[in-house]
Amino acid sequence: MDQAPASRDAILGRLQDIFRAELDDDDLRISLDTRQADLKGWDSLAHVRLVSAIESEFDFQFNLSEIEEINSVRQFVDLIVEHTQ
Amino acid sequence: MNETSASLRPLTKLPPEALPWLPRPVRRMREEIAALPAEALPALQAARLLAQSGRDEPELRLLGRKIRTILTSAPAHFAGEARKQGLVPMHLLILSASTASHLTDALIGTAIRFGVLLQVTAAEYEEPDSWLARNGDALKRNPVDAVLLASDNRMFKLAAPLGDEDAARQTIDVALSQIARIVDVARTATGKSVILQTLAGDPDAFQINMDLGLAGSPRQLRSAFNRRLAEFSRQTSCLLLDVNGIAELVGQSAWSAARFWYAAKYPFAPAMIPLYADHVMRILAAQLGRSRRVLVLDLDNTMWGGIVGDDGMEGLALGTGTPLGETYTALQRMALSYKERGIILCVSSKNDETIALDAFRNHPEMVLKEEDIVAFRVNWDDKAANIKAIAGMTDLGLESFVFLDDNPAERKRVRDALPAVAVPELPDDPSEWIGVFQAAGYFEQASFSREDQLRAGFYKANARRAAQLERIGNHDDYLRSLEMTLSIAPFDQSGRKRIAQLIAKSNQFNLTTRRYSEAEVEAVQASSDAVTAQARLADMFGDNGMISTVICRLKDGSLEIDSWIMSCRVLGRRVEEAILQHLVHEAKRHAAVELIGRYIPTARNGLVKDHFEKLGFSKISTDTDGATTWRLVVGDYRDKDLPMKVEAGSASTA
Repeated sequence: MDQAPASRDAILGRLQDIFRAELDDDDLRISLDTRQADLKGWDSLAHVRLVSAIESEFDFQFNLSEIEEINSVRQFVDLIVEHTQ
Repeated sequence: MNETSASLRPLTKLPPEALPWLPRPVRRMREEIAALPAEALPALQAARLLAQSGRDEPELRLLGRKIRTILTSAPAHFAGEARKQGLVPMHLLILSASTASHLTDALIGTAIRFGVLLQVTAAEYEEPDSWLARNGDALKRNPVDAVLLASDNRMFKLAAPLGDEDAARQTIDVALSQIARIVDVARTATGKSVILQTLAGDPDAFQINMDLGLAGSPRQLRSAFNRRLAEFSRQTSCLLLDVNGIAELVGQSAWSAARFWYAAKYPFAPAMIPLYADHVMRILAAQLGRSRRVLVLDLDNTMWGGIVGDDGMEGLALGTGTPLGETYTALQRMALSYKERGIILCVSSKNDETIALDAFRNHPEMVLKEEDIVAFRVNWDDKAANIKAIAGMTDLGLESFVFLDDNPAERKRVRDALPAVAVPELPDDPSEWIGVFQAAGYFEQASFSREDQLRAGFYKANARRAAQLERIGNHDDYLRSLEMTLSIAPFDQSGRKRIAQLIAKSNQFNLTTRRYSEAEVEAVQASSDAVTAQARLADMFGDNGMISTVICRLKDGSLEIDSWIMSCRVLGRRVEEAILQHLVHEAKRHAAVELIGRYIPTARNGLVKDHFEKLGFSKISTDTDGATTWRLVVGDYRDKDLPMKVEAGSASTA
């Protein structure tokens, strides 16, 4: 677990790239506290694109209730850690 | 963390949805996109190369979106420039009752792999006929080139009481008539080809082993529907996208993804989109004449196991008895099955020619025979140079070529030197090659005609004609010695499949490169102002089959040549002069005083740049995009003495 903080940072860095690509905004900056309501482009279609891209990037699958419940970057990071470690 | 998990679990076998025949990418798509040139045309050419590697769905979407952005900001005259570089614009309309817009960017990213600059209009969440009824004006303003009816299980909801065969049949009838109505409306609204989809098996549907034979069960209904749909599409000249076949290839449970249906009404798993998009583009590319036609085979360790120069003929792994030998026999059978579909087989091998040919002729287990191969290039030269030489010998462009070789270094060399040639990646294990090669679908075709079966023979006969020319020397004497008969007839039903095929496939001897679907050819045939010609050429070496088509329109005393296509197999035989003579006679018969011809340049039709000039037309205008317009006054034309017998008017018997 001692490597967990570094991993979470690394995950956030990769998520930043994915969010920029999927929301088509090269200057976008996200943090753990960024919520769906904060980003205009993060609508329901973008949400599914994010899910698909994150699954490809980290090579695992979200389950349906996770897809439905996620509404913040922090939740994405938590679930990525949970699914991949 | 992902890096380590990837190295712990190396992908020894890529699944079909990863497009395993394409090389793996070297860099991430976002890095590649950031490095693209600023100018539109170089950026698109670089994007075309990026699309030649196997990308996952998010990366493909990124590429597609970038292409879309480039095209939106490109200057107005851009389309003509792009066309000269082999990038053809195309507009696809997708009709879906589920989600479809999520396919758009992945389709655009895939399209450029085929040299197509795709624009997509996605009509989703709606019954296709009502969408078409509401959007007729928009379709007139921005016409589409093809329509994809992306139907799925949820659109038809096939259901019938169990065990009731009549009710099951009726259910299928109703679904088919719904499709027929949509096809009708789509054709009226667009005038273009419609692509129909088979239904993928649904792993979530109730099924037990007996169900395939039980009327009214989900499995029975879907399989009956798919069979009827395939018949319907053949009868009505629709194009068929066999989604069920794709789902079977990857597995139904991998294809369908209930999560994504419930979350976003995606009809199938997003990870499958690259493969789906590749299939859609194969069909559209075949319509544009961009399917492959030549398979060039390496020999050592590709068509047989071992190196014939080192191991000797007796030492080769080939034939029953050893597992590896059986693998290579199966590979030869695969090559032969392509020949039966009209694909030209050639050999390029680094070998001593006598040794390699001796094995080819005399190894008792050879499935491929010398006469199956149209051209052999067995020497120590560079393979890229040999493939170029074969292209020259067969008059087929490099865009038609596929090169199969076990050696990664040779594959890379050919890919780098000749990017137009398709060079499939192959797994280490030769027993897996056939699956990967077949899945690549290089030889897509929309229809099958008698000419396809005979094609290899045509090219063989050409080689014999070349020998005769060498013997006789004088070209005109040679042409007379061929005892040619040219039969010219207007378009008719029996010739239609081949006419549509020539229109779809011809790139070099094609004056305007206007593509017409089978349905459009039928409409031209029925139109009263159209003058059409299909021509077949036979000679002492055999029947060349249908080798030329012309579509003209009568307009205010002119006969305007809309399309003029000829197979490059009969170049240099003065066929085009005989056809012109026929057109002049047709013009007279319809009281037209002039013939108007048009040449629209593309990356591949430079061959006919001076076609009209050579035939005695005078140029009347040149457009900014390089297109030229030509006139021939009918009264100025004098009949010529041509080295062939011309039979005009009789209907085709093919």
